[in-house]
Amino acid sequence: MPIRDRVARLVAEMPEAPQYPTQGATLFVDLERRTVQRGYTPMRVVRGLLGGRGANMFYLHRLLDETLQPLHPEVPLIFGSGVLTGIVPSAARGNATSWSPESGVLMDCNAGDYFPSFIRMNGIDHLVLFGAAASWTLLHVHGGWIHFVDAAPYLGLDNIDLRERIPNDFHGTWTRDLAMVNITRAGENLVLTSAIMAGPKACYARGGPGAKMGSLKVKAIVVQGQTHDFETAQPYKGYNRQIAQKLLETSVVKHALKTTGTPFLYKPSRLLGAMGTKNHQETTWTERLDAEHITPYRPGMAGCFRCPVNCRPLNELNADRSDKYGRGDGPEYVTLGKFGPNLGVERIESVIRLNNICNDLGLDTASTGSAIAWAMELFQRGLITERETGGLALTWGNAETIERLLFMIAAREDFGDTLADGTRAVERGRYPAEALAYRMAVKGLMQSDPHDARILKAFALGLAVATRGMDHLRNRATLEINARINDDPAFKSRLYGGPVAAAPDAYDGKERAVRVCENVYGVGDSVGMCRFTTKLFNSPSLPGLEEFGHQIGNVTGLDLAPEALDAIGHNVTGVERMINHRLGVRREHDTLPDRWFEEPLTAGPYAGERIDRAEFDRMLTRFYDLSDLDEAGLPRRPWRGQLEAIVGA
Amino acid sequence: MITVVLPSTLRVGPSDTLSISEPVATVGELVDVLDRRIPGFREQLDDSVFNFAVNDEMLLYRARERRLADGDTVAIIPTISGG
Repeated sequence: MPIRDRVARLVAEMPEAPQYPTQGATLFVDLERRTVQRGYTPMRVVRGLLGGRGANMFYLHRLLDETLQPLHPEVPLIFGSGVLTGIVPSAARGNATSWSPESGVLMDCNAGDYFPSFIRMNGIDHLVLFGAAASWTLLHVHGGWIHFVDAAPYLGLDNIDLRERIPNDFHGTWTRDLAMVNITRAGENLVLTSAIMAGPKACYARGGPGAKMGSLKVKAIVVQGQTHDFETAQPYKGYNRQIAQKLLETSVVKHALKTTGTPFLYKPSRLLGAMGTKNHQETTWTERLDAEHITPYRPGMAGCFRCPVNCRPLNELNADRSDKYGRGDGPEYVTLGKFGPNLGVERIESVIRLNNICNDLGLDTASTGSAIAWAMELFQRGLITERETGGLALTWGNAETIERLLFMIAAREDFGDTLADGTRAVERGRYPAEALAYRMAVKGLMQSDPHDARILKAFALGLAVATRGMDHLRNRATLEINARINDDPAFKSRLYGGPVAAAPDAYDGKERAVRVCENVYGVGDSVGMCRFTTKLFNSPSLPGLEEFGHQIGNVTGLDLAPEALDAIGHNVTGVERMINHRLGVRREHDTLPDRWFEEPLTAGPYAGERIDRAEFDRMLTRFYDLSDLDEAGLPRRPWRGQLEAIVGA
Repeated sequence: MITVVLPSTLRVGPSDTLSISEPVATVGELVDVLDRRIPGFREQLDDSVFNFAVNDEMLLYRARERRLADGDTVAIIPTISGG
């Protein structure tokens, strides 16, 4: 069935008015015909999946035609903000969802900054884009309406230059009344590791969303409007103050996020011998990249809409204003790891500069850094040579060559064209089949977190079962590295709903930790809460299901107890698994790179550690049982029937 | 002598290191000594964000049982995840 028919059928069954206070509309934007239809997410979907990521899954499930290809214009790109986005402190997030052109499975990315909140200020919760525009288009959202603008003047502009132009052209001010998501040349050129930028650094990163937006010929979505308070079911500001206070009193915020940001994790990972190095051939690297060495280059911190934490480190390498990459936003821990140890780079200044370039070029640092690391190992092993690289020596630590490669990737120029195919380089005939043995990916997606998970078995399981591929932000049981929690089995058992082994390298009970995290994070993404400030990711005392439920009640009038929210988180991953099943994903895809099963660690206190295949398989089976999944990885009946009823399948 | 390396957020003076000359056999006993020297320190350390590393070996569990020897360096390290 063509996408227009699918949309027409869906819109016909959607309410024409808000179903609860603060609910915004879903706009279906036909880019080819330049028409817009609107409706409101039905209550059965809200009660079953909430908004944001959860409701995005409803829309993708209903509109996806799996007989097409991910970059086909009839495969929609869906933006969604959470039910608390823009209303609650640190809830500034939204998701972008589609069929990933990079991985071939579900694409679902999360970003903050200002766009997800400002779109809600326009009375919009979801944007569903489909059909290729006849020419490059900019969507201008203003007063709750969408205006189609010729994007020709902006073509070829990367993030820095575009963000300089837009405020003048649209008479607005960033963070006050103007926000934007946009692609760069990388997205225009359908680079599979390209992001949709949501700010100077914030981006919808994983799975090639930039390429997907580029395939629809949408350069940017500019949203304008004054911030305002929402009409809610009950007063909510008093409880907002409690949430803000809880955030600011939590030690991880006070001691790390607010002062230094995520680069703090580099040192623990390095000391543990778990820092992915040279495409995970090694697992420890120089102390010269410890967070304290970034401090001299950090002039301050920045944050997202109405977030009291301000965890984003800014950087300034020099005072030369003509040096485009002499300052910027970041790096986060992921970028530090992916462009430091994993590429053999030792100088912090080089990592910061490469970070700034990626933010301008709109490249996902996780996938792009991993793609370069993969190529470097292939070069090291002689599986590719200077004949394939166009004369470039892909030697570890060569920051100048890495910088050059980034520009070549964005332009799909020479060997950059190969790197721009990300994990698909073998499938597209760029590398020999033997190269797959060194590809650090699950379900076609390179690993996000640079941490090598051969030691931490809950982390490893999470990477294996994550619905969007090898990504820690879906379910990482981060607290398994915290001794204070491991040494209190009663507390840990309460946290995860049953016994979980204290030893980080043990397998027993780790499925419980992953299941609980997957549920809580699924809800967090569906209300719009930042992962960093969601319970269980970095602390057991940050806001979680109880606080979300309380504030959902105040804001929307919906009565959702923590148990009900836990079931909603489970539902979200259940629908994601139903989508992935249509895309060919089965139990055998819930696995890890062979290297982690076959090659033991060679450094650190856990030298000799690897993933045991039999133990892993038993842990996976326990996870499937706990998650109510059948042998194909699908929700079992009767739960699947309930999910089908929610999405109207 | 045990050398203790503190993160900036726990420093009590200009230096990030403390020297402990009292005999301590384990990390747990070291915390007792630190709490006597810096009132409230134990309470601050009773926090999941802090891990101990002994001579650069990160302790992920049974941390306070870890035996110490003269000359060891114990670092207190905030541990978080990122994106």
